[in-house]
Amino acid sequence: MADGERSAGPDQPALSIRRASLAYPGGGPVLTGVDGSVAPGEAVALIGPNGGGKSTLIKGLLGLVPVVAGEITVLGRSPARARRDVAYVPQADTLDPDFPISAAQVVLTGRYRRIGWLRRPGRTDRAIAGEALDRVGLAHRARTRFGELSGGQRQRVLLARAIAQRPRLLLLDEPFNGVDAVSQQTILATLAEFKRAGAAVVVSTHDLTVAHLNCESVCLVNGCQYGFGPTGRTLTSPGLRAAYGQQAVELRGDRVIVAGT
Amino acid sequence: MRALLVTPFTAGFMARALAELVLLGVLSGVVSTFVQLRRLGFVADALTHAVFPGVVVGYLAGGVGGIFPGALATAALAAVGLTLLVRGGRLSEDAALAVLLAAMFSVGVILVSRRSSYTADLTAFLFGRVLTVSPDQLALTATLAAVVLAVLAGCAKEQVFRAFDPVAAAAAGYRLRLLDLVLNLAVALVVVAAVQAVGTVLVIALLVVPAAAGRLVSDRIAGVTAIGVLLAVVSGYLGLVASYAASVTYGLRVTSAATVVLVLVAGYLLALALGATARRRDRRRDRRRDQGGGMSWRRRLGATARDRYRRRDRGGGMSWRRRLGATARDRCRRAAA
Amino acid sequence: MSWLRDATDRAMVESVVVGTLAGAIGVQIVLRRLAFFTMTMTHATFPGVVAAAVVGINIYLGGALVGLLVTLAVVALGRRRGQDLTTATGVLLSAGFALGVALAAAQQGFTRNLSAYLVGAILTVSDADLVTGAAVCVVVLAVLFAAGKELRFAGFDPDGARAAGYRTRLLDLLLLLLVEAVVVVVIPAVGTILALALLVAPASAARLWTDRPGPTTGLAVAFGVASSVAGLALSSRYDLAAGATISLVATGVLGGSLLAAPRHGVLARPTSFRRSRANPRDWRSTNDDLP
Repeated sequence: MADGERSAGPDQPALSIRRASLAYPGGGPVLTGVDGSVAPGEAVALIGPNGGGKSTLIKGLLGLVPVVAGEITVLGRSPARARRDVAYVPQADTLDPDFPISAAQVVLTGRYRRIGWLRRPGRTDRAIAGEALDRVGLAHRARTRFGELSGGQRQRVLLARAIAQRPRLLLLDEPFNGVDAVSQQTILATLAEFKRAGAAVVVSTHDLTVAHLNCESVCLVNGCQYGFGPTGRTLTSPGLRAAYGQQAVELRGDRVIVAGT
Repeated sequence: MRALLVTPFTAGFMARALAELVLLGVLSGVVSTFVQLRRLGFVADALTHAVFPGVVVGYLAGGVGGIFPGALATAALAAVGLTLLVRGGRLSEDAALAVLLAAMFSVGVILVSRRSSYTADLTAFLFGRVLTVSPDQLALTATLAAVVLAVLAGCAKEQVFRAFDPVAAAAAGYRLRLLDLVLNLAVALVVVAAVQAVGTVLVIALLVVPAAAGRLVSDRIAGVTAIGVLLAVVSGYLGLVASYAASVTYGLRVTSAATVVLVLVAGYLLALALGATARRRDRRRDRRRDQGGGMSWRRRLGATARDRYRRRDRGGGMSWRRRLGATARDRCRRAAA
Repeated sequence: MSWLRDATDRAMVESVVVGTLAGAIGVQIVLRRLAFFTMTMTHATFPGVVAAAVVGINIYLGGALVGLLVTLAVVALGRRRGQDLTTATGVLLSAGFALGVALAAAQQGFTRNLSAYLVGAILTVSDADLVTGAAVCVVVLAVLFAAGKELRFAGFDPDGARAAGYRTRLLDLLLLLLVEAVVVVVIPAVGTILALALLVAPASAARLWTDRPGPTTGLAVAFGVASSVAGLALSSRYDLAAGATISLVATGVLGGSLLAAPRHGVLARPTSFRRSRANPRDWRSTNDDLP
């Protein structure tokens, strides 16, 4: 999977953000004061209300949203330069369900950058794509049209695309939204495999159980950062209450209930 | 029948017209797939109207030979301009396109209106005169087709990726603006190639209908393209036949552009019907498969017993151990599908 | 009245009517992103107009009927697997126009009719055309005035409007019918392709100057009338095609607004942009007390 062995030394974090602010071109900053780091082989959960900047941060890590203050370093380089080793898993429902593309073809698109312009995917690429699909349990649906799969299956296909890219940093935007239990298990198992192989993972989610059980650190954002640190210390009631707004949050067991919205 | 379907094309001008339409059919069939995937119908329409003033200026400056360079120049300008314009902001994308389209067209109209042969020239530019295609124009169309198809073949998979998941494509490092520019230029070149044969008004049909029909029938890009190209080429041929028949048999002078487009639309309607029946068939098949998957244990056992006898009759002689293993595996595979 | 006998005066009145209509309905077209649909309408009503001319019935009626059919067809086609609205409109636009061209060829005067349809013939409007235009103008303005806030609500937040009890499907249909009525009236004046400029440019220009709905409509109407009248005057002065000149003036107004408008214009924007990019490292976080 990811070549964790070839990273530049065990001390260098996979991701390092120093007091960064992000803004879309022509507008003011939408996310400020993000500060923290992620080591290889670790996962950080991005938690916060919708519209609070989780997606913006992920896009910033991809080099798609400009950094107007501070600095973001991905795998020792600027986000734009690190793209080769970073894989992005969007939410499946942002994609057109009518598009005439099969699951296998979606996974193959993850290899395009390595295949390069003018050349067609070769046997190795197809083998890698097939293996990735098999990893997520969808080898038998390789030729099904992407839009005909269930929500959870689509999310798994997008994860398979990331697997095929063999990244050292994996970014997932709310992969558990509207996903069935089997798919959720598969996704979590895959994330664990990524971590074991030395890749770092950033996953934005509303699911606090996932954060508690699978992520070493947590980053709370809502316009600005409310916390970035080890899960046990950061994912606390006061922290969540601050991020979601004082009057809004109630913790019942593992679920965040946002009242008044 | 032969007199209608084959004989007219023995005449030089008819053969050239057919060759031109076949070339255009292949070119536009492929390009229309990308127009369909990126939902570029309106952009394509804007380009067809934006080319018009270039056509007029070219004609005024250099006669018939000036049409192509004039169209080429404005097409390139329009493609670049449109790519830049589609940026968002207070002026919505479709409003910007609409105004650009109309403005360019107005410039062309004003230029044409200064001449005395106003209406005749206007119709020629707008609807083309495929029957007056010269060998030089044919060669030009062939060259354009070769260039556009080669370029698109080179970036086809990237264009599809960008169309399907633009954020991931940007995340992978592809320059979306560049890919869009290439595609807009390809569309613009199709318009330039088609201007003299079909005119600017009806090119939009060649750019939208083939792939739209293909999509109704096929779920894969390769299928959409193949059907689109086939439909476009056949429409060119049948359209010419129809316009010839109309003029010879009924004395009606219907421009070939119109008949070609009408055949295209008829093909689309056919695809609509075919697609609907295919979907009905698929739904029935899925329903049957679901019902079959929930077989009772009795039926399942009965099935394997029957299979056993059938295989023995065929001279199989398999051990009972192997046979049981095989059917269990089949059952699991059926349940998983 | 004797002064209406003159063709230029009739054209002037027609241009005022057309400008008002275009500005008023243009605001809806721009807000609801109906530009491509309007384009299709203009092309698709063509066979209706031609058929009506051949058969001998009122061309407005013919155009309106076919326009109605096209609206329904677009909505129906757009729901099919793999076909979106853009594709559906593209197909119908092609079909309608090709049909119209074929029909027009069946009768004499092909090129003349076609020209008039494409680029307009405002100088040859008859009294009947004027009366029809004025009547439609009154009706459209009345409907827009009466149902203005409902249309705005349904356009901005269809789910909310439905939840509040409005029949959004009917409101949408009403809007499409209004657009169709305006298109059918405006085309004889400025032609089909150029009608698009008049319908979209003044409203787009108005949106660049103000955010409030009332002033937007008022400004759009003002721009529309000004473009039409000025365009007509220029065309008669310099002997240019009338419809095209009107359309270019409307575009010019939009272009000028794009440059000059205080908040949204291009000249105004760079300063705010420059301000945020000037000293990125100086920007101070308001949350110095991070846990």
